[in-house]
Amino acid sequence: MAGKRHVILGSGTAGLNAIRTLRQLGDDGPIVLVSAEAPYSRMVLPYYLARRITEPHVTTATGRQLDEWGVERQIGRRAEGLDTQAAKLRLDNGEDVAYDDLLIATGSSALRPPIPGAEHARCFNFWTLDDAKGVSKTISPDAHVVMVGAGFISFTILNGILERAGRLTIVEVAPRILPRMIDDAGAALVTDWLIERGVTIRAGAEITRIAEQGQGLRLTFAEGDSIDADLVLMATGIRPNLGWLDGSGIETNQGILVDEYLRSNVDNVYAAGDVAEGRNRVTGAREVHAIEPTAMEHGRIAAANMAGKKIAYPGSLLMNIVSAAGLDMASFGSWDDDGAEVIAAQAPARRAYRKYLFRGGRMVGAILIESAGETWSGNDVGMLKGLVQSGVDLSAWKSHLAERPFEIKKPYLATGTTARLLPETIIGQPSPAM
Amino acid sequence: MKVLSISPERCTGCMRCELACAYMQSGAYQPAKSVIRVAPLEMHTSYAPFTCFQCDEGWCMTACPVDAIAISAVGAKIVSDDQCVGCKLCTIACPYGTIFYDEDTHKATKCDLCGGDPACVEACPTQAIEWVEGDAADWLGEFAARRAGTDLTGLAAVE
Repeated sequence: MAGKRHVILGSGTAGLNAIRTLRQLGDDGPIVLVSAEAPYSRMVLPYYLARRITEPHVTTATGRQLDEWGVERQIGRRAEGLDTQAAKLRLDNGEDVAYDDLLIATGSSALRPPIPGAEHARCFNFWTLDDAKGVSKTISPDAHVVMVGAGFISFTILNGILERAGRLTIVEVAPRILPRMIDDAGAALVTDWLIERGVTIRAGAEITRIAEQGQGLRLTFAEGDSIDADLVLMATGIRPNLGWLDGSGIETNQGILVDEYLRSNVDNVYAAGDVAEGRNRVTGAREVHAIEPTAMEHGRIAAANMAGKKIAYPGSLLMNIVSAAGLDMASFGSWDDDGAEVIAAQAPARRAYRKYLFRGGRMVGAILIESAGETWSGNDVGMLKGLVQSGVDLSAWKSHLAERPFEIKKPYLATGTTARLLPETIIGQPSPAM
Repeated sequence: MKVLSISPERCTGCMRCELACAYMQSGAYQPAKSVIRVAPLEMHTSYAPFTCFQCDEGWCMTACPVDAIAISAVGAKIVSDDQCVGCKLCTIACPYGTIFYDEDTHKATKCDLCGGDPACVEACPTQAIEWVEGDAADWLGEFAARRAGTDLTGLAAVE
């Protein structure tokens, strides 16, 4: 008897990992992939912009690969509605797609701020492959680029902009850069680093109008002054693609609410990635973690459960790393937990910053900032992830870390973190080759 | 499967493993290019060589957005330089801190078990690193824990 008919909605990281996992686990049921775009990786678009890779490199599954997996495709199609009673998905061409179980992995979309003029052809998001192509075509070596929004997405393309444009100005409405990735002290350090490298940063500034000015654009601030730009990049936030679920009965908050099996309130409907609101591994609360590793883990766990395994997910760990002009910055878990006990230190001569956050003996979050050369001379980036992930008891090591905040290897080793981590796998078995 | 078994009590801190590894990985005798790192304990009176466990999950491999990490014939998770874009995602996914980023090549770099003939094993004069049949284990935990309270007194920490 053939297995269940799986419909996967979305070909991003969550959707593709789900397809691969179904086949890796020996599930031979029919798979239908419905996706607005052909499969590619958003994560590597900054390297396309920086001309380190060409367009074929961003593809994550070729037609041949999907054929090998026996995936029936509806590419270029969006879902417009869901009837969970009839177990049917309604597509934008009016067609219905029946499923035994459904994975919703529709991801998220970039927001365009409600600034008059923001729809101008020289204003871009940097979210889709088409966005990346548009920016890549328009940017020029003498261009002045203005980035509106100083969050993670902006920072992933900062190196590419610096390589391909003449000048960069970053405008952020919050009082400082990277408001959702690092803390005030870290942001101050990064700001100084970038200013020294010729980047203009204007935080706490709101743009009220964008208008054509000669060949380029003029951006007017709330304060009344203005700057001219050849190209404007908008990265002011993203929103899960949920609207099409209105009236479907699928329970949502910020995202689709999912249980430890990545299942929604409807038994045979799963959700994964940016569109899912699942358990936070550190706090236990349900949150949307719109990051690549969460999409990958969600996709694999959902697929394992769709394949009939009963695999519970301990929750996703918030983590980010980005490098800007040679300065690496990474944060893990509850790095912004106001109620946590904090150990923080700077080594100003090395431009290095560390912050560790504790709840009792457990490290619940961490921030690391330092020059790339320093980061990769040690094991600390991953070890911090291991400490937060494993939740080992560091009670006996807090005084050590307070005295020697840059020596985390010893507490990592001595608390047996490795022994705690070695048995852990995401889907309850060793990962086969990808 | 064979694994790199580490006996820290035999390590003298001579760092030959790091030099051999760096040479195998990059063709240069630069310890910064080594993917085995010898941690000094007790103010440099004992040492703990630390490298990839080739763990079951393969956190680096599953995290890679472009499938640049594969499993070799000898069970090593190996980075394909052609595929790797240098996004560093693997370096925050690996909870052991044993995959690195090479600033010169813009690629991730990690232990590939030298294709089945690990240079660190050959270079170690005291058999602190051995290439043996078995499972990966926490080779250093107890050793480091025993030495936790024995920092030499009266000396300032070297940061």
